[in-house]
Amino acid sequence: MKRRVLLQGAAGAAFLAGGTWPASAQTRAETLRYVTGATINTLDTTMPGATREAFGLSMNVYDRLFSFGRKKVGENWAFDPDTIRGELAKSYSISPDSKVITITLRPDATWHDGSPVTAEDVKWSLDRHVTAKSLAAPQFTTGSLTKADQFKIVDPQTVTVTLDKPDRLALANLCVCYAIMINSKLAKKHATADDPWATEWMKTNTAASGAYIIESHKPGESTVLRRNEKWVGGAGGALPSFKRIIIQTVPEPATRANLIERGDADLAIDLAASDLPTIEKSAKSKVVSIPQTNGFTHVSMNTQMAPFDNLKVRQAVAMALPYEDMFKAAIFGRGTKLYGGTWATVPPDASFPQAIPNKTDLAKAKALLAEAGHPNGFSTTFAFTAGQTATAEPMAALIKESLGKIGIQVEIQKKPDAEFNTLESEKKMPFFTDGATAWLPYTYYFFYLYFTRDQRWNFASFKSKKMEDLTLEARYQTDKAKYEEGCKQMIELFNAETPLIMLWQPNHDAVMAKSVDGYTYQFYRQADFRDLKRV
Amino acid sequence: MLAGILRRVARRLLASIPALFGVVVVTFVLMRVLPGDPAVFFSSGPSAGKEEIEELRRSMGLDKPIPVQLVRYLGEVATGNLGRSMTTGQPVVLDMTRRLPASLELTCTALFIALMFSVPLGVAAALRPGTPVDHIVRMLCTLGVCVPTFVSGLLLIYAFYYLLGWAPDPTGRIDIFAAAPPDITGFFLIDFALKGDWEGWWAAFSQLLLPACTMALFVLAPLARMTRASMLAVLGSDFIRTAHAMGLSRIRIIVAYALRNALLPVLTITGIVFSTMLGANVLVEKVFSWPGVASYALDALLASDYAPVQAFVLLMAMIFVLVNVTIDVLYGIADPRVSVS
Repeated sequence: MKRRVLLQGAAGAAFLAGGTWPASAQTRAETLRYVTGATINTLDTTMPGATREAFGLSMNVYDRLFSFGRKKVGENWAFDPDTIRGELAKSYSISPDSKVITITLRPDATWHDGSPVTAEDVKWSLDRHVTAKSLAAPQFTTGSLTKADQFKIVDPQTVTVTLDKPDRLALANLCVCYAIMINSKLAKKHATADDPWATEWMKTNTAASGAYIIESHKPGESTVLRRNEKWVGGAGGALPSFKRIIIQTVPEPATRANLIERGDADLAIDLAASDLPTIEKSAKSKVVSIPQTNGFTHVSMNTQMAPFDNLKVRQAVAMALPYEDMFKAAIFGRGTKLYGGTWATVPPDASFPQAIPNKTDLAKAKALLAEAGHPNGFSTTFAFTAGQTATAEPMAALIKESLGKIGIQVEIQKKPDAEFNTLESEKKMPFFTDGATAWLPYTYYFFYLYFTRDQRWNFASFKSKKMEDLTLEARYQTDKAKYEEGCKQMIELFNAETPLIMLWQPNHDAVMAKSVDGYTYQFYRQADFRDLKRV
Repeated sequence: MLAGILRRVARRLLASIPALFGVVVVTFVLMRVLPGDPAVFFSSGPSAGKEEIEELRRSMGLDKPIPVQLVRYLGEVATGNLGRSMTTGQPVVLDMTRRLPASLELTCTALFIALMFSVPLGVAAALRPGTPVDHIVRMLCTLGVCVPTFVSGLLLIYAFYYLLGWAPDPTGRIDIFAAAPPDITGFFLIDFALKGDWEGWWAAFSQLLLPACTMALFVLAPLARMTRASMLAVLGSDFIRTAHAMGLSRIRIIVAYALRNALLPVLTITGIVFSTMLGANVLVEKVFSWPGVASYALDALLASDYAPVQAFVLLMAMIFVLVNVTIDVLYGIADPRVSVS
């Protein structure tokens, strides 16, 4: 036990004979121990199958050309999609017709192996993202970045990106998790004829320039990072505060909560909601609750499947949901409501997601159901994934009870994650709940991603020519007023058609030691170690 | 004698090959008829469309008909390639070689602890059937088997780590800030001992103690009850009465005559318990963040990640065969009348 006491007590001591810490050992105070329930399954986030934890790691290990800024939301920090700053880029300029972006690189930026970052590397990385078979390519199409010849080297420090049309999301796409900048000289050494983009090698190795360098990586157990002392991509050129990060997989949420409460671990973001009240009262830890400004939890109805193909049925369901009870029972009120809006048909502003004017009114719901030709109701199933049991199960029970009152018999189906995802993707479920977060939280992008085209994220299989036209128009609209007018029309159309029912934006609850500060909610819903410090 | 045993062991192992083959085929087919498409599950990125899902399916070889996939898989298994895990991104063989020692170390320690307690308890209960001793043993066993391992595990953590602070934090095989031993056998206790690092050995041991006790509690019941029943039967037999009549010492009768004869059924049960523990300790592994094979397989199963699940079932089948053969050999030692064939 002596050993433990030493470890805890001598918070500063560079202790541990024969330990892994180098001679100039970082102290415990300079080390952040982050515990998570998930696994980092690849070091190359652009590959299909990458987990959310892998995205989080990549943001800290790789640099992108640009990065979103951050802003205060209440007491806390959240990413700010409306300010974009350079990461590997020192500066940029956009041509008057908004079609050419000229990017100047930081002259002092180096890769982890010490070689300088050049325009050639940037061009190779961008080429890879639009050419290699990866998830970066479909993401980049949302910013009209589709072909390698759009990227040109002007001089060793300058690159231009040329667009066919002035796409409003081109720059934002260079900030997302897929847009990593790769040390092309290193990666090319490991490329083969079959694999010209070194995708195999990059799954288990890095060719990066980011704030942290991977020291050891054991998938499913732990990953250890050390600070890159030569990093120049920070805001104002500042180095991150923590010198060493230990990412540890601890599958049991109760154990993660214990570790934080005891002060043995510094940060966790995926605890059970029921553990949070205890931690809020604890002496050693605190909870930072930030609304997930880019997300929403919803109840979807398959608009291509009877009886939900009938607008009146969808409206009846929207009026029969027990919103307030669900909000309290499912997420303990920890979130922002997306129901109970005070407008009727025209939204007050162009922001989305915003509160939709839905509220519980059983009498009206019953009348609508009768109008729709189902005076005695009907039977249906309501599905959710096992992974969301904690929030979805109480919700499902309340929905079943409430819809029962207007004659709709609901059978609750809890499905394993893989099966649920398959059914969702194949559009085989009539009625279900799920959550979604958009990386690029712009109103147009929400509607483009979730309410157009026959694709997986169109949860309600919504088909509307008007919506397609509106999103297409907004995409290339450079006039701000016209863009916002279009966005308002999309929200209006959404409210009139009710393809899915918005419930709330759940809070992102990060639990950390009292001494840790600066936590920022990021669009990929993972901890950004670069923002954190110990006070 | 030894050569005879070896020959029979070899014959037993050869005979198990068809069974293993059957296990491989059944698991393979079972995984594919289960609902859930791994390609959809793993291409859950925000921009994964139909084409990306198709592409992933192709790269995983799932676009081919099942018989073709099976033949290809059997060929790969024969060459020792068990595929790549989508959940960890590593080759399954690599994952298994790192995780199996962790599971084995935990299971063996737990079994050792369980035997240390259950055999004396069982003997004590058998010597005084119907007395308070017997009742206390029965109560202990019932408690152990009634409380699910994740409950007892969380309780132990709460008491010894959270409240008392005696145990190290229950995360994995060694303190996250400490160095792991050199990778010699993969068993931390053995590796630390070989290196002579007794401080490290103690650290690994104290990390191991809580999960091992949790598992031991759960298997206390079958072992103790079996010892008691079999001891009772033996104690009532003629040769024990004769031994008493001959005036042999009580200790000698109980240990040398009764216990040795009573151990045969206990051995059988131990073999079964060991195999079950290795696969069923998934809850303990989850609660204690133990990087073992069972939690690995469960994660893979939930994600419809075929390769690790198939490899896990094959591994378990192989261990089952090995344990059975070992138990048979031990039988021969405990009772020379039993032959390995």
